[in-house]
Amino acid sequence: MRFWNAVAAVTLKDLRTELRGRELLPALAQFIVLALVISNFAFDMTPGITVHLSPGVLWLVLTFAGLVAFGRTFAAEKESGSLEAMLLTPAGPSAVFAGKALAAAVFLACCEAVLLPALAVVLGSPIDAQVVASVLLATVGMAALGSLFAALAAQTRARELLLPVLALPLWIPFVVVGGRAVQAAMAGQPIGGQGLFHQPLAVLLDFDILFLVVASLAARFVLED
Amino acid sequence: MKAVSARGLVQRFGATVALGPLDLELDGGERLAVLGGNGAGKTTLLRLLATAARPAAGRLELWGLDAVRHRERLRTRIGYLGHQLGLYPALSAAENLQFFATLYGLGRTEAAEALELAGLAAVATRRAGELSRGQLQRLGLARAVVHRPELLVLDEPDASLDAEGRALLARIAEGRTLVLATHDLVLARRICGRALLLRGGRAAGDPWRFRILEAEG
Repeated sequence: MRFWNAVAAVTLKDLRTELRGRELLPALAQFIVLALVISNFAFDMTPGITVHLSPGVLWLVLTFAGLVAFGRTFAAEKESGSLEAMLLTPAGPSAVFAGKALAAAVFLACCEAVLLPALAVVLGSPIDAQVVASVLLATVGMAALGSLFAALAAQTRARELLLPVLALPLWIPFVVVGGRAVQAAMAGQPIGGQGLFHQPLAVLLDFDILFLVVASLAARFVLED
Repeated sequence: MKAVSARGLVQRFGATVALGPLDLELDGGERLAVLGGNGAGKTTLLRLLATAARPAAGRLELWGLDAVRHRERLRTRIGYLGHQLGLYPALSAAENLQFFATLYGLGRTEAAEALELAGLAAVATRRAGELSRGQLQRLGLARAVVHRPELLVLDEPDASLDAEGRALLARIAEGRTLVLATHDLVLARRICGRALLLRGGRAAGDPWRFRILEAEG
C-alpha cells in the first residue's frame, strides 16, 4: 500500500508541476502540429498515398515527441537535487521510478490526444479504435523504457545525446509491430500476417509486460548510487 | 550503542581520495560540527552519513546497522539537507512537505507540524518558487525533519538564514544527533558540543583552537 501511495504521490506531483509550469505539453503540441504540417508539404499526400504514409508519419512524430518528453523526466530533478531527496526517503527507487514512468506515459498520451486528431485533420488519415489501441499499448512500453534510459542518461553529462542512442533501438519493436497494426487499420484491412504480425495488439501487450518488468528491476540499479 | 560509528572510512572519486581514512563515533543526541576549508571533505563525509553515497572503503554503522546494507531501513531515521534544497518551485510550501511526508508514509499532520516548526505557516499556500532564499532554506530544513529523524545531517544550512532562522536551526537540533557542516564558528559553537576539523579529507586536530581555523582560512 505504501509503495502505491508513493507511486501515486510522485505521479501527481509530476502532473501538477507540469500543469502549473506548462513547459512541456504546449511545446510538444506545437511540435506535433508543425511536424504534421511539414509532412503534408514534404510528401505527395494524394488520397491513395495518405493511407500508406500516415502510419510512418505517426510513429516518427510520436517517437521524437517521446524523446523530448522523457528527456526531461529525470534531468530537471537531478539538477535541482529533488531526485536525491526522493531517493533518500524509504519510498525507494522502484516507487520513484514507477511514479515518474507513469507520469511520462500520461504526458505521451496527452501528445497522442493531439497527434491523432491532427493526423486526421491535416493528412486526412482514418483514425479508428484499433489505431488508438495500438498507440496506447505502445505508449506503456515506450514510457517504461524511455524513463529507464532517461534515468540512466540523467547521471551523465551527455544526456541529450545518450537518451536517443539508448532508447531508439529498443523502441523499434513497438514501431514495427504498432506500425503494422496502424497500417492495417488505416487501410481498412483485417489484421493478418505471419509471426509477430498475426495479432499485433497482443504482441504489443506482451512487449509492455516484458519491458515493464525489466525496467522495474533495472530501475533500482540505475537510480541508486 | 553508538549512533554513528565509522572505522577507516574512505571515499574516492576516480584516483582522488576525497575523504579518509577517517574514524568517527557519535553518541545519540551528540552534536558534531564539521569544519574545514573548501574541498576538505565535509560534503563527502555528510553524504556518506546520510547514506546518499557508498564508501569506497571502511565501515560505517548507524545505530549498529551497516549503513550500506541497511540503507533503506536507516533512511527513516535520517534527515539530510544538502547544498541543493530538493524542493519543487511549482508546488506550494505545504504541498512540498505533504509530498515528502507521503514518501515517508506519513500524513498531512506531520507536514503541517514541520511547516509550523519552520515558521512558514503564513506562507503555506505560496509556491516555493515565490519564496525568499531564507524562506526556502527554512522549507528545506522542514523537509529534512518532516519525518522526525533521530540523526540530522545538515550541509551548510545557515547560508541564507537570518537570526530567527539560526534560532530555528538550534531548535530543530534539540534532542537529535546532529552533524552540521558550516563555516560559521559562532553558530557551530552555539549548537554543537563537539567539532571535527577536516583538512584534505582527514581529521586535523582540535578545531576549537582558533589559530588552526584561521590558518585554514
